[in-house]
Amino acid sequence: MTKQEMLAFVQAAVEASGTTDSIAVLTENRNASVRFGQNKITQNMDVFKRELQLTVGDGSKQATVTSQRIDHSALAEIASEARNLLDTSTPDPEYMPPVEGGQVYPVIDEAWDEFTGECPAAPRMETVGKLIDTAEENNMKAAGICWMQNNQTAVATSTGNLAAHRYTSAGLSFTMDRGLASSRTFLKGTAWAELEVDPEIQKVVEQVEMDENATDVPPGDYKLILEPQATWNLLMFLPWIMSARLADEGTSVFSGMEGKKITGENFSLSSSLYGTPPAIPFNTEGLPSRDVVWIEKGVLKNLPCDRFTAQKTGRPPLFVPETMDMAGGEGSVEDLVAGVDRGILIRRFWYIRFVDQKTLKLTGMTRDGVFLVENGKIVRPLKDFRWNWRPLELFSRILRIGKSVQRAAGMVPPVVIAEQHYPFTDQEGSSEVPGT
Amino acid sequence: MHRTGSGGVKKLVQRTVDILQSADVDYGEVRAELIRTENTDFRNARLDDCRTVETQGVGIRVLVNGSWGFAACTGLERDDIEAAAARAVEIAGAAGGRGKVELAPLDIQQGVYTGPCRKDPFEVPREDKIALLQQVSDDMMKDPRIKSSQARLWFEKRNRVIGTTRGDLIETDLIFTQPDVMATAVAGGDAQSRSMQDGARIAGWEWIEQSGIASWGEKAREEALMKVLADESPSGRMDLLLDGLHLSLTMHESVGHPTESDRALGWEANMAGRTFVKLSDQGSLRYGSSLVNFLADNTLPYGVATWGWDDDLVPGQKWYTVKNGIFQEFGSVRETALLIGKQASRGCCRAMDTQCFPINRQPNFYLEPPDNGVTPEELASDIDHGIWIEGRGSFSIDQRRENFQFGGDLFWEIKNGKKTRPLKKVIYRSRTPEFWSSLDGIADRKFFRTMGLLTCGKGEPGQSARMTHGASYCRFRGIEVGGGR
Repeated sequence: MTKQEMLAFVQAAVEASGTTDSIAVLTENRNASVRFGQNKITQNMDVFKRELQLTVGDGSKQATVTSQRIDHSALAEIASEARNLLDTSTPDPEYMPPVEGGQVYPVIDEAWDEFTGECPAAPRMETVGKLIDTAEENNMKAAGICWMQNNQTAVATSTGNLAAHRYTSAGLSFTMDRGLASSRTFLKGTAWAELEVDPEIQKVVEQVEMDENATDVPPGDYKLILEPQATWNLLMFLPWIMSARLADEGTSVFSGMEGKKITGENFSLSSSLYGTPPAIPFNTEGLPSRDVVWIEKGVLKNLPCDRFTAQKTGRPPLFVPETMDMAGGEGSVEDLVAGVDRGILIRRFWYIRFVDQKTLKLTGMTRDGVFLVENGKIVRPLKDFRWNWRPLELFSRILRIGKSVQRAAGMVPPVVIAEQHYPFTDQEGSSEVPGT
Repeated sequence: MHRTGSGGVKKLVQRTVDILQSADVDYGEVRAELIRTENTDFRNARLDDCRTVETQGVGIRVLVNGSWGFAACTGLERDDIEAAAARAVEIAGAAGGRGKVELAPLDIQQGVYTGPCRKDPFEVPREDKIALLQQVSDDMMKDPRIKSSQARLWFEKRNRVIGTTRGDLIETDLIFTQPDVMATAVAGGDAQSRSMQDGARIAGWEWIEQSGIASWGEKAREEALMKVLADESPSGRMDLLLDGLHLSLTMHESVGHPTESDRALGWEANMAGRTFVKLSDQGSLRYGSSLVNFLADNTLPYGVATWGWDDDLVPGQKWYTVKNGIFQEFGSVRETALLIGKQASRGCCRAMDTQCFPINRQPNFYLEPPDNGVTPEELASDIDHGIWIEGRGSFSIDQRRENFQFGGDLFWEIKNGKKTRPLKKVIYRSRTPEFWSSLDGIADRKFFRTMGLLTCGKGEPGQSARMTHGASYCRFRGIEVGGGR
């Protein structure tokens, strides 16, 4: 649909609602991807999806209907169903009417690339073919996915707000392995042309060769060097529990910590409208996105806050606009390694889960590359290991921060963290479970 | 029994199959689904979310020169579906033969499967659902130390029609029902949650009635309070007594995933991971003690993977994954069966919805319980020092599915054969074959519990799948326990 068609549709949905309050959100996306494993293409996909979400309210309660019948002639029936749901609902003491009219939404044109939006198949096939050929030449196996996406969304509220946005995404994520040695990489951008594929393929081949014949981690004290992917794996747990409501209920690590120091002074976290990737300019309530500093020099400045909690507590209503950056510094991973006398370099983590949400204690494994670093050099590969850590403690002990690169939904740097004693499974005891 | 009118969908599928026939594909498959869900969600004793979701779409999978092409669209508009069919054929051809797909043989499949449902939950007045959830929520919030509560009823009606260029045509009608309740207590600077975890079933409103949800609010409240006030876990090697709901997740992670054939073939190496189980281990690997019998069963009544046929149109089957402690066979799909040395698929091919390419998923499977009359208390009586664990909590396992750490939902210390003080923040760590080899006692089948899981994530782009697991109480010897502080 064109932008005008999408705007017209959400406006029509609001008009059809027949209620005092209503919000309509229309999304449309196409996702074209090639998946491969064991040096052959296993899935080749091109998927198109379009969906309307209509929320109706009467000043005391609300109800929502989602439908994939995107047709003006279906709106009356969809609205009727929403009203029927509303009639049987009970009053909500936290009811919030749609956001006031006159909202001003940022325009983020940088989020769209025309070529990527067309989702042509040939570049994906060519890239995957090259990757598989390189793996075979090096007696390795390759698995991964290569994709192009286009996305559009439009929102209208009964209070007169109306906005649309579109963005594209391209990416390549792959693992190469030879026996138990493996390495993985992840490239993502707004445009296909941003992906620097060739040097990354070569880099991964070299990393697999470095990972052969891994041995157990000897007990001892080690600095941790986290590559950007590993930093991101830990960081992504923060927005999951950063919530003013959870903090007020006393169930999160952030309870009573607003305005207080929760990490080291060299740790800052923010969301930027024109960041990498660019923000989505509004949420599904029609609230405009804005630049937000979440943690500044170690101090918790803001928490995402729903509109009811905001009204109740005097906080601003805030949400993470699908992008979040950790402040970076200077230097590559190699530069960071060069400055470490004894440490463990970790490429990524895997299967991280909460052990204790109240203290934000997590557990997880390493994956696809762990290395012993001595006197500024990588000396040998190590086997994967389990850890139980509190990321806020780790982020309180950062010794050095490197230059940020893009990961899934933000810019993140490699970091060096002060000495930890291995085994890492419990601060109070040792693990008898070795790595794999 | 529930049936959705679907004559129009069948015609639409058949018409699209005809288009694929004329495109001269080697194999073409058209999967159409009409899905309706209803969610009623109370948070802190107020109706927080009240919604229905109606999805409809078509997924088209074709094979051209050994390569898959898959395209999908939402809605049931003829033009959109024809465009999707053309895209599927085009991208299959563009793969340039890098697919090398060979499907295991399968007889032509035709028929209709309707899941068990005695009382259609969509026919139950919404006022009754809201009143039930309000009562459960009010029960949880009666103690001011309960700072957060959730009570939810979720229902789904799913009609699926699949036709192929081979002449297959099948239809399924399923209703899924899931109640959820959770209370979070805050006291003494700590916060602890208790949830009721039997999960989903292919069943109707009768599952809500049988579940006992009306009493769950009080139970969740009292047990959350007991938990938040409990002592923290001791550390060291000790014995464990684990209930069926807890083991449902342990077996899902350490048995279900490692025995998926696509992992063994390396197809998930970039995302879900590989497995420590090798293709050559079929029929020989010691996976556990001789008491361990894992029975895969996609015919299990109310099991959430019991769909009649999988998305390859392979009928639901029952087989041993592990028999007397020995690994028997990977779960497979038509594309992997020949590659793992089998002549036919076990029927484990499923997609989340029509927007997803169907992949190798876990079947329903469970630890076969004995008829031995043994009670959990009798199993505990032979434990000097151990922990009794019920329900699911923290969970994590390495990508080869060997090195794991699990928590739980409720814990008691066992001392000198008796269940004693409640505990909290218990985690245990082990390795898959060692853990299952340490199992030395299973309680009678009357203590068997199942858990229907709706959200098993796998694949790229990510998609979820459904399966039911179950067990009776089991005793494990000498497992490393550490504090979850």
